[in-house]
Amino acid sequence: MKTIFRNIFYTAFFATAITSCKKDFLTVQPTDRLPQEYILADSSLYEDYVVARYVGIRLQDKEGDGTNPGFGRGFEYAMWSSLTDESIYNNDDNTWLVQKGLLAPENTGIAGTIWGRSYRGIRDCNFAISTIAKVNMSAPRKARLMAELKFIRAFRYHDLIRNYGGVILMGDSAYNLTDNLQDDAFFKRASLKESIDYAVAQLDDAANGLPLNNDDAWLLGRATKGAALALKSRLLLYAASPLYGTGTWQAAVTAAQAVIGLNKYSLYTGGYSNLFLINDNKETIFERLYTKNANHTHLEIANGPNSYGGWGGNLPLQNLVDDYQMNNGKAITDPTSGYDANNPYVGRDNRFYATILYNGATYRGNTIETFTPGGKDSKDGPDNWNTSKTGYYLKKYMNDAYPLQNPWGNAGFQPWIYIRYAEILLNFAEAANEAYGPDVVPPGSTLTARAAVNLIRERPSVGMPDLPAGLSQAQMRTAIQYERRVELAFEEHRFYDVRRWKIADVTENKPAGGVTVIKNGSNFTYATKVALDGRHFETKNYWLPIPRTEIQASNNKIQQNSGY
Amino acid sequence: MRQILQLTCRAACYPFYRIAPPLFLLAFLLFSNLTLFAQTAVTGRVMASDGPVAGVTVTVKGTQTTAVTDAAGKFSIQAPEKAILVFTHVNYKAEEMTVTGGNMEVTLSSANNSMSEVIVVGYNTTKKATLTGSVSVVKGADLVKSPQANVSNSLAGRFSGVILNNRSGEPGYDGSGITVRGLATTGNNDVLVVVDGVPGQIGGLERLNPNDIESISVLKDASAAIYGSRAANGVILVTTKRGKTGKPTISASYNHGFSSPTRLPEMADAKTYAAISNEIAYYNNKAGGMNQQYSDAEIQKFADGSDPLNYPNTNWAKTTLKNSTGQDQANVSVAGGSDNIRYYLSSGLLSQDGLYKNGANKYNQYSFRSNIDASITKDFKVSLYLSGREEDRQFPASSSSDIFRSIYRAYSTIPAFYPNGLPSGGIEGNNPAVMATNAGGLNRNPGQVFNGILKGSYNISAIKGLSVDAFAAVDKSWYFNKTFATPYLLYSYNKNTDIYTSRIVGGNNNAASLNESQKNQTQLTTNIRLNYANSFGQHNFNAFVGYEQSELKRDSLGASRINFPTPLTPELTQGGTLATDRDNGGNSYHYTRKSYLGKLSYNYAEKYLFDAQLRIDGSSTFPAGHRYGYFPSFSAGWRISNESFMHNVAFINDLKLRGSYGMLGNDNVALFQYLNNYTFNTQVVLASGTAIGIAPAIDLTKLANKQIHWEEARKTDIALEGILFNDINFEFIYFRQQRSNILAARNASIPNVTGIVNPYGSDPLVPSENIGKVNSNGLEATLGYNNRKGKLHYGASGNFTYAKSKIVFIDEAPAVLSYQKQTGKPLNTYLLYNATGIFHSTDEIAKYPHLDGAQPGDLILQDYNNDGKITADDQVRSKYGNIPQITYGILLNADYKSFDISVVFAGQTHVSQFVLPESGTVGNFYSSWADNRWSPANPNGSYPRVDTRTSASVNGGQYPNTFWLNNASFLRLKNIELGYNVTGSTLSKLKMQSLRVYLSAFNLFTITKVKDYDPEGSNYSGQFYPQQRIVNLGVALQF
Repeated sequence: MKTIFRNIFYTAFFATAITSCKKDFLTVQPTDRLPQEYILADSSLYEDYVVARYVGIRLQDKEGDGTNPGFGRGFEYAMWSSLTDESIYNNDDNTWLVQKGLLAPENTGIAGTIWGRSYRGIRDCNFAISTIAKVNMSAPRKARLMAELKFIRAFRYHDLIRNYGGVILMGDSAYNLTDNLQDDAFFKRASLKESIDYAVAQLDDAANGLPLNNDDAWLLGRATKGAALALKSRLLLYAASPLYGTGTWQAAVTAAQAVIGLNKYSLYTGGYSNLFLINDNKETIFERLYTKNANHTHLEIANGPNSYGGWGGNLPLQNLVDDYQMNNGKAITDPTSGYDANNPYVGRDNRFYATILYNGATYRGNTIETFTPGGKDSKDGPDNWNTSKTGYYLKKYMNDAYPLQNPWGNAGFQPWIYIRYAEILLNFAEAANEAYGPDVVPPGSTLTARAAVNLIRERPSVGMPDLPAGLSQAQMRTAIQYERRVELAFEEHRFYDVRRWKIADVTENKPAGGVTVIKNGSNFTYATKVALDGRHFETKNYWLPIPRTEIQASNNKIQQNSGY
Repeated sequence: MRQILQLTCRAACYPFYRIAPPLFLLAFLLFSNLTLFAQTAVTGRVMASDGPVAGVTVTVKGTQTTAVTDAAGKFSIQAPEKAILVFTHVNYKAEEMTVTGGNMEVTLSSANNSMSEVIVVGYNTTKKATLTGSVSVVKGADLVKSPQANVSNSLAGRFSGVILNNRSGEPGYDGSGITVRGLATTGNNDVLVVVDGVPGQIGGLERLNPNDIESISVLKDASAAIYGSRAANGVILVTTKRGKTGKPTISASYNHGFSSPTRLPEMADAKTYAAISNEIAYYNNKAGGMNQQYSDAEIQKFADGSDPLNYPNTNWAKTTLKNSTGQDQANVSVAGGSDNIRYYLSSGLLSQDGLYKNGANKYNQYSFRSNIDASITKDFKVSLYLSGREEDRQFPASSSSDIFRSIYRAYSTIPAFYPNGLPSGGIEGNNPAVMATNAGGLNRNPGQVFNGILKGSYNISAIKGLSVDAFAAVDKSWYFNKTFATPYLLYSYNKNTDIYTSRIVGGNNNAASLNESQKNQTQLTTNIRLNYANSFGQHNFNAFVGYEQSELKRDSLGASRINFPTPLTPELTQGGTLATDRDNGGNSYHYTRKSYLGKLSYNYAEKYLFDAQLRIDGSSTFPAGHRYGYFPSFSAGWRISNESFMHNVAFINDLKLRGSYGMLGNDNVALFQYLNNYTFNTQVVLASGTAIGIAPAIDLTKLANKQIHWEEARKTDIALEGILFNDINFEFIYFRQQRSNILAARNASIPNVTGIVNPYGSDPLVPSENIGKVNSNGLEATLGYNNRKGKLHYGASGNFTYAKSKIVFIDEAPAVLSYQKQTGKPLNTYLLYNATGIFHSTDEIAKYPHLDGAQPGDLILQDYNNDGKITADDQVRSKYGNIPQITYGILLNADYKSFDISVVFAGQTHVSQFVLPESGTVGNFYSSWADNRWSPANPNGSYPRVDTRTSASVNGGQYPNTFWLNNASFLRLKNIELGYNVTGSTLSKLKMQSLRVYLSAFNLFTITKVKDYDPEGSNYSGQFYPQQRIVNLGVALQF
């Protein structure tokens, strides 16, 4: 028996030896992630968290190709411009339903991503805002980060307001799963005025706490005082606009003047085309930067003409082409403009050449041929399924130094400019014209509306004639609308401008136009055509529908925008 | 062979240093206590009515000493005096006989599906007679009848309750998805695979050499509860072959298979596609007319082939793929042993070629196994199982999904190669005929798996029936991946200038690029059990208690380089030199488990059967306080046929009523969900002057669920089984499962305004929470018939499984419409509009609710809620998902003299698959659609009009509808084998024990209503490497 017990003992010993019953055997430390305590305990990790708030989450396929989206839509395969009368997207990609007025809560296309991404961004900011007191950091730095967080959060609200109108204001709490997520307070939409007031107040706080300039302690890409004031200018301009009708033009003037009065910004003089290719210049007020391994869509292949191997993505419409003035400042519809329908691309506003590729344009050492028969960038060329439906290709933003073919990882580094000084001047001009008329220097300002527009028109590389003196307020309004359309084309303004001006029921009901170019010997004839049937806009489309899933998640308590 | 040896050495040496010392200690301790008992050699012969019986297992009752009869029915075994020998064989009734001394003569009587067959269940074995759980068994001998080399594919149709779906045929990735009794949870549905007692052995089931497998048992009911937290989705137990006392047997087999796709969709030819392009342009600009892309004369050129340079007609699948490709399998094994040492040694080779022409796709597998059992003393046995394999996968630099996507997208109007031989740009620089070759570089993915198990078993002879078993198992795997992508040229021809322009594709930045990664895994499992088995009169006890723990570690490392100065140096050291040319990454993972387990089996006279099991599992996935789960199960059986009142009922040979109930768990979720997880991203770019870079930035990636714990399954099983008229066996099972605390992420019910928003395409922000509840139930039925008439033996059996799930709770938005709810419906259904037909005219459109802008040729979507509008409220849940509710199998076999045949049919029904091809200006059309499309010229078409992009079309992705939902039912001849066994003098001249040649096939034919793709596929756009049909010739011999 003794041996037996010994055996049992040894066996047990053996078992213990090989299984080594460590008490903490089941406790495993994560190595590829951090628990929350570390973020709050280490001020540099906390700041890394704050900096990440400039980038949001992606919510759709084909969104955030390369890196996640920031604010708005920015550089994506289908750009926001393709929801407007600036362009159509060649292969639909959930943009045509917007163009065709089929936007519905269940079918939001590429416009379905703003709601969720913005509220996620707001919560992520709120986490930092509500915990900053616990972080061991100098008071000035804390104040600056707090201002930055308020700026980012206000930008998220701006994204919501200009798409949905009055939004739900979430305060400073970061909600958790343990909270009552069906609380009625989550579902009450503030009025448009309350929403704008809130965002503007936040931007005031941000402007007070943010530095004027970027430097080594505040790298380019982070918001500055100017960014906060500029966003405020945009919001107050919107607030005063017909669709909103909740603010005053005077307030909008003051807000724009606050940016101008910083005397920090000026129009870029290195050429209109180049402005969109370089990171650091005096015109850019706030931007998203990209670099290798953190790039955006490969714009050149995505938008390039078919013979170059491009996919002809965002295709400028005849509607936009026709709106470019002649370089004498006259509209092509003006019989005295000198416009020649048989040579339609001659003598136009220089920004046309910097924005649009047309038949005969020079591109990458070659000539665009959208003509038939035989044009290499027409259906007679190679890869003809990528041929432009409109007869035009996008030129703005394209960087010829980047590879067009096989560009993967080696393109997509252009900055996306959220706000630039030209917009501020135009904000100023519009508000000043509405409040005081074209030729009055508003109190506290140094410019008239007309002078502000002329700064843009007369700058080198644009070289458009000044607006004449003596325009009526309405004529000035039209001139400013023209200037915004042309100057800010493809920069995510048109969609909101035609809505806030309440002209969308006209502009967005016009067919999506294109051009057919026929070659006869060495002559071309140009005929307009419909590039995409069915363009349509209804009153309800002034605001986006809140996604159906969201309405359902709120148990139908969130009020849908009217008409949907 | 050299590779195998290297592998063995490399695999065997490293991991053992860790566990060797304690094992040697054990061996030493036990050796030092050897006590020898008197043993005598007993010899004898086993006969049946038609002659000697080979392969009968002879066991000394109450011990693990076994021997096997040879071809002459003879055996030799060491047994103590007056020991009882048990003779078992699948085809005969078991016999027991006391050792008589001298030569024993035993006669067995035939019994189909003998009740004495030994079945492997969790941690031990039981006789079929006393089995109280639902366990399906397949013998290795049947598995090798399938020429498909992936073991998971060999199980289809063989038994009830196990649902297999082979989704792809790509060599290296051609396994089947396995679910036991269908889907039962919204969480992970993976079955636990246990190989030779090691739960979750690294290397899994699929790549085991089927020739090494003795048997596979599938635990379908609560009998799996002994595997506790991992058992809820069922457990597959694999037992590998072991040596038997006797002369060495050398077996060898060689197979050559011809493999071809079961099905490839027919795509529209050039003239049809050209016409379609015109129609698409017309729908986008009606004023432009019907010839905006191609004139009629051009379409005629596509049709007549008069100008192959400019108007080709390309069949991309034909250009890219071979009609058939080869696969080879060779196996050698040696088995035998003396009373003290028994061995099974084997080595196998598998080689599969991809389907591509000049393709770079290859799969080679080399495997070995050495299973050695040693009886050190009468009471002390040690076994060492070593096995390993090399899996050499090689692919072109483009993935098969990209290649097949390009095959189906590329237009028939574009040549693959111009008449002068230059490759075209295909679709957007993707020419599948070139992508499939090594022109764009290679992806090599060699992996090695090593499994070592050292088992010890000690019979504590002082207490009758008491023994200790222990094992230590080491699993290792090493997977290396190296993709060297090189640039190459594609051409486009400009007919106006007669110039071919080249474009560079592949690689990165017009230079070669390299991606390398290494993933190493180690799993260490240790187990010790104290067993007790004894009988007191008619009271039979068998029990054990045990402890088990395991630890899994995974380390991975990756590096990439771009801008190689030359494509000739595919090494990390030779890549581009800029900091931005280089990238590295790494990760590690660590998982631990701790378990206590016990089982008690009791039966009275093998008539009243009772089993109880309990496992207590602890896992590092869950936070302290929620780590441990208890998983008990009970089962009972009543062998009615053993009751005295049944002895008069002659036609009932066996009849058993049994039932089981138990709690099982599922812990297959991501780690660390009990913490708020913050991770660094690389998306924020900041600059200082001209210096620009990616700034460190941290995101919240997972919210904490501090309460996270097990998913629970309560399984109930009631079954009746038996044998009638000697020849007919049957089994009927009713089963029910209640899944609760299902680990699911709340997705639908949390409003976005709270900021708790899950990103698209990556891990959700919300953690898994124990919120889901799904009930499922169903039936299994098996009916078999076996008979032998003289030299003709034949049998047929059929099995049927009906498994239906019903969601009791799933996270849904509070305001979801009742008829769109998932709650109350089976898992994995689709939410779709009902397509009821096609609008043929504007008149028809006017008469029925329709979408804004509807035009003739659009699908009629049902106004389900009759509100006069087509909105999302008109979507309804489909009846079925893509896991079949009904599966069935038919097995036929017969042998006559030297010939034998076996056939397995597998079928499924009550299953739907949604496939929306990527068509339009973005891809070609299935010819079924192209030929039957509605168009102004074909107003009676049965398919909707074509559109620019199906995914964004009102007839496709914009309003996903039942038009694209297929009834994916099929009946498929899964396996057939026809064999001839050489007998008589030829065999003896060759000095062979047996020689067999056979012809076999896999997926030989399929009956289905699905038109374009293999109904077993699950790809949403139908773009996948197709399942394979294999016709195989083989020879097997034994010395």
